[in-house]
Amino acid sequence: MAKSTSSDVLTLIRSLRSAYAATPTNLKVVYMGIVGSFPFNSFLSGVLSCVGTAVLAVCLRIQVNKENKEFKDLPPERAFADFVLCNLVLHLVIMNFLG
Amino acid sequence: MVAPVEPKPGGTLRNAFGGVLGFFILLLIGVLAFSIRLFSVIKYESVIHEFDPYFNYRVTQFLTKNGIYEFWNWFDDRTWYPLGRVIGGTVYPGLTLTAGTMWWILNSLNIPLSVETVCVFTAPVFSAFAAWATYFLTKEVKGIGSGLTAATLLALVPSYISRSVAGSYDNEAVAIFALIFTFFLYIKTLNTGSLFYATLNALSYFYMVCSWGGYTFIINLIPMHALLCIVTGRYSSRLYIAYAPLVVLGTLLAALVPVVGFNAVMTSEHFASFLVFIIIHVVAFVYFIKGILSPKMFKVAITLVLTVGIAVCIAVIAILVALVASSPTKGWSGRSLSLLDPTYASKYIPIIASVSEHQPPTWPSYFMDINILAFLVPAGIIACFLPLSDASSFVVLYLVTSVYFSGVMVRLMLVLAPAACILSGIALSEAFDVLTQSVKLQLVKLLEGPLSNSGDTKDENSTAQNDVLKADKQVATNNKTEDVKERPSKKNRKKDKENTEKAPVKSHNEKRLLALPLEASAIAIILLVVLGSLYVIHCVWAAAEAYSAPSIVLTSRSHDGLHVFDDFREAYAWLRHNTEVDDKVASWWDYGYQTTAMANRTVIVDNNTWNNTHIATVGTAMSSPEKSAWEIFNSLDVKYVLVVFGGLVGYPSDDINKFLWMVRIGGGVFPHIKEPDYLRDGQYRIDAQATPTMLNCLMYKLSYYRFVETDGKGFDRVRRTEIGKKHFKLSHFEEVFTTHHWMVRIYKLKPPKNRMKGKTKKPKHTSKPLSGARRDGSTKKNPWQ
Amino acid sequence: MAKMLFLPLLILLLFLFECESFSAENPTDRRLLVLVDDLAIRSSHSLYFKFLESRGYVLEFRLADDPKLALQRYGHYLYDGLVIFSPSVQRFGGSLDQAAVLDFVDAGHDLILAADSYASDLIRGIASECGVDFDEDPDAVVIDHVGYAVSEIDGEHTLIAADDFIQSDVILGEKKIEAPVLFRGIGHSVNPASTLVLKVLSASPSAYSASPKTKLSTPSITGSTIALVSVVQARNNARMLISGSLDLFSNRHEKSGNEQFVTEISKWVFHERGHLKAVNVTHHRVAELAEPAMYRINDDLEYSIEIYEWSGSSWKPYVADDVQVQFYMMSPYVLKSLSTDLKGLYFTSFKVPDVYGVFQFKVEYQRLGYTSLSLSKQIPVRPFRHNEYERFIPAAFPYYGASFSTMAGFFIFTIVYLYNK
Repeated sequence: MAKSTSSDVLTLIRSLRSAYAATPTNLKVVYMGIVGSFPFNSFLSGVLSCVGTAVLAVCLRIQVNKENKEFKDLPPERAFADFVLCNLVLHLVIMNFLG
Repeated sequence: MVAPVEPKPGGTLRNAFGGVLGFFILLLIGVLAFSIRLFSVIKYESVIHEFDPYFNYRVTQFLTKNGIYEFWNWFDDRTWYPLGRVIGGTVYPGLTLTAGTMWWILNSLNIPLSVETVCVFTAPVFSAFAAWATYFLTKEVKGIGSGLTAATLLALVPSYISRSVAGSYDNEAVAIFALIFTFFLYIKTLNTGSLFYATLNALSYFYMVCSWGGYTFIINLIPMHALLCIVTGRYSSRLYIAYAPLVVLGTLLAALVPVVGFNAVMTSEHFASFLVFIIIHVVAFVYFIKGILSPKMFKVAITLVLTVGIAVCIAVIAILVALVASSPTKGWSGRSLSLLDPTYASKYIPIIASVSEHQPPTWPSYFMDINILAFLVPAGIIACFLPLSDASSFVVLYLVTSVYFSGVMVRLMLVLAPAACILSGIALSEAFDVLTQSVKLQLVKLLEGPLSNSGDTKDENSTAQNDVLKADKQVATNNKTEDVKERPSKKNRKKDKENTEKAPVKSHNEKRLLALPLEASAIAIILLVVLGSLYVIHCVWAAAEAYSAPSIVLTSRSHDGLHVFDDFREAYAWLRHNTEVDDKVASWWDYGYQTTAMANRTVIVDNNTWNNTHIATVGTAMSSPEKSAWEIFNSLDVKYVLVVFGGLVGYPSDDINKFLWMVRIGGGVFPHIKEPDYLRDGQYRIDAQATPTMLNCLMYKLSYYRFVETDGKGFDRVRRTEIGKKHFKLSHFEEVFTTHHWMVRIYKLKPPKNRMKGKTKKPKHTSKPLSGARRDGSTKKNPWQ
Repeated sequence: MAKMLFLPLLILLLFLFECESFSAENPTDRRLLVLVDDLAIRSSHSLYFKFLESRGYVLEFRLADDPKLALQRYGHYLYDGLVIFSPSVQRFGGSLDQAAVLDFVDAGHDLILAADSYASDLIRGIASECGVDFDEDPDAVVIDHVGYAVSEIDGEHTLIAADDFIQSDVILGEKKIEAPVLFRGIGHSVNPASTLVLKVLSASPSAYSASPKTKLSTPSITGSTIALVSVVQARNNARMLISGSLDLFSNRHEKSGNEQFVTEISKWVFHERGHLKAVNVTHHRVAELAEPAMYRINDDLEYSIEIYEWSGSSWKPYVADDVQVQFYMMSPYVLKSLSTDLKGLYFTSFKVPDVYGVFQFKVEYQRLGYTSLSLSKQIPVRPFRHNEYERFIPAAFPYYGASFSTMAGFFIFTIVYLYNK
């Protein structure tokens, strides 16, 4: 029972995250349309950070999904560790590129 | 990696033994790859080769001296005078940083190697890495046996040797390793679906972007493969994990490299990846919905989504097309365009067409560069199709695209070489697999013996092979490679087949059915071995003879022994010691890098051909008569003009042979230079039939000035003819240095006359006392001879 | 002894050699070699020679065909100036010949050359090499039937009165030459393409050049194109005076302007006037003092230079308002007039253009009668370094916000995920 709730919560959070990551992207594109593309690197990193996080979240979701038989031999802990690593790399690059 | 993946209970020891053996073989392949590239150091000396490596060497020196931040901000005022060049922002830093790091590590380990030594040996070291990367890549595709074969082939392939001999310190040297490694990680991710490898993949892609402009090949090939998988209905979530993070992270990382910068999102070369990125999301979403909804609901949903989706897609594509079309070159850079349309460069950009390595290759060059691999590749393709997996389809796609690109530009043969090696490795390995398997079965039938016998037969086999090949070391490695392969490869293939949902038992049955007669297999094995040894012989010959000449020192063999032509270094040393630090030297752009690196003098143009107008200016000066050439050079503050002349010793790639390109490039910007003026009836000639424009242009005069004094006839050994105009004087230039074999000639611009003469005509009755005036004119001209 | 201080600075200058040979020495020490056909010239032209000696020159008289004649010994020139008053010599003695004379000039030394109606080919050759062509007809002299000097014997009107001087205070001095110059000799034409030759004294429009003995044919040069006296300033600032008449320098024409003319012009030829030097070229960023090795685009910089004129005994500040500096890379990006403090210092400040490359500070100053100043100093201009761009741009704050909020979201997600495990 605890398992099912936790997975429910997870699914919820994940969809929230994806939704959250998508919203600023749209907002930003609109904003760029208004302001122009001057600090292009900031724009790019802003957009890509959102897209990247969303993509990585999707990847994680695919991997830890119990129904997905492709990843039987990949333990969820490993998947999460990979996810964290990937995110760290992503955000380091974003930080670098933002300024 | 080498350790077997899942040992079967019976064969643990054998597998462990195989693993260790495989490891040693890999090590030997690395040593082989490294050592076969040392011919140039042994035969000549430890020098940097050719043109571009000199620039890389100079950049590396700067890096090691001033540190990475200075390097990043380096504004070089010694090239492209007076424009200068922002080196930090226009150079692919991968190679330089790699060598710089190696040097730094060695030095901090108290191994005091000079920067030059490190640079010279960077390429061989990385070719060993590349061989290992090939092994891993092929292992992912077809198993360890194929991996080892492919690695051996790659270690030896002449096409790659040509770019990575010791001293050839060029971007390609590390880029090929990065390319193969990126592909390996992509396939690894595809096979495992692990985000970890996806991250590594992105980082390795970053390294590739740092190293070479050829990274666009990756960023187009991988989307093509992803698209191919989607279209053929092989979409899986592993594909998503392999592809989507790579695009996001890879794009971000690529944008970090200064020379790429915003090009990573702005140019058409990268749009394919974004398009496929969108498509893969759509497809992923569709699959996701499919999983959630019932089939009926799914149908309804799909019609709904399709209508909306298509509308959105059309809008997006329209915007993209509008954006791209608004830029003049349609967003493509010149070199990429000439890849897509092979006639583009020759039509519009003579500067790209003028480089010999941008020409389409000829058939012999295919045979020269990849040798027997060309025949093995089709077999490899068939082997890849037998059980078609994502990985093997990727390799096939890689091969097909690289064959096309190598057909356009001879330089891209280098990209083809790994693909050819991988596929030939697979083919060879499969062939040996089948043949030895059938030999084994036949022997088992024949002897009714236990399984352990097969080991003996193999040993016999290998000794027999050794006899044939006279125990050549490389060949022995080759043989060993071929020997070990069958045991582990089976397992790996089985795993592969598991993925592609085939029963593992089936392969055993197949093997039995495929058993060939003993004699036939034995003969086939011997033939294959002979083929392999032919390849090895060819490769060694190519490494030793064809590709190890540094082109800065030349040798020639004649009846009276070996001649060494060290004229280039002689000339550069003369410049370094006899001219002022701030003097500007003009030459055709080929020699720009060498002049800055070896003579440390400012040049007008160099091999980084970023400013066509500037090069055209120099081309125009070279094709103009003396006076206007002097004016052009003087306006650029040029003090010395350097020409390369091969007529005396028969060095064919001299400036006279390149001259038509100077005319073309100059004429492309300054229309008063017309190519037909230099051609007699469409023929380029420098003999008595040559046009007056040709005989009066600066390049002719500087090349052939005083040439007639050498043999009295002025016979040019490159053009195999006597020159057209033999006795002439220079009015605006003076010869200051000519190297021993006349290969490099350096002229100085005369300063403007201190006085201006009156009427040019001499009083008719003054011939007697005026001898002094004439002496004034002629003795000053050659103070050197 | 301020000269000794200037000396190291002169190394910057392009006309180094000339300037050094001139200013390093005490001007009163200047050695002149005077070549004559006949030592009688020493007395017939004594006024002129006396004038030279009074200006501090050491004169050495030699016959033009003296077999021991030599201009240099052990690679060093023995003289600073050469006066050739030997129009008829066919061949110099010793090691001297036409090429040696021209080399002497090309090494930055000065020359006074006087021809006459019987000028030899040698003299004509030297003049021609300098851009001055004497009338080819060996017998031709300048004749003017209108502007001739009334004299006792001359019925052919070959002694002409010329007053068509060049308008230049630098060459001819500030005091106007009132009386016309009396000239008897051959005329010459100057190469019109040459920018180095100046006609100092031209004939009147009614003059022509022909042989008075023979019947008049079409004269080769007529009117005011006939130059009687010309000066040449070579590119290395060596100065030459070429006169069609030796008689011009003689003691004979007392009431004319000859004396004033030849003395003033000799002062110019021997660099007592119109000789400029530029020293102390400095440039630096505004509010800094040290000279940088490289500028950045859009830097503000200050440029200054000191220009002095030789007055015959010391360097005096040169005052003008038309000195310009160029900031030059293939074409001038900045062209500014320099302001002066009237003490020789010229200065200006400007902003480096928004273009990187190897620039030059160029001062090209060429004025009639003055030595030409041509200085260039190379200076690279680099683009911004990567950390010199604006860091935090207000317009980008939404992007920053988005990025950091996704990062925060990532952390929250991580915590929640781990907590849920």
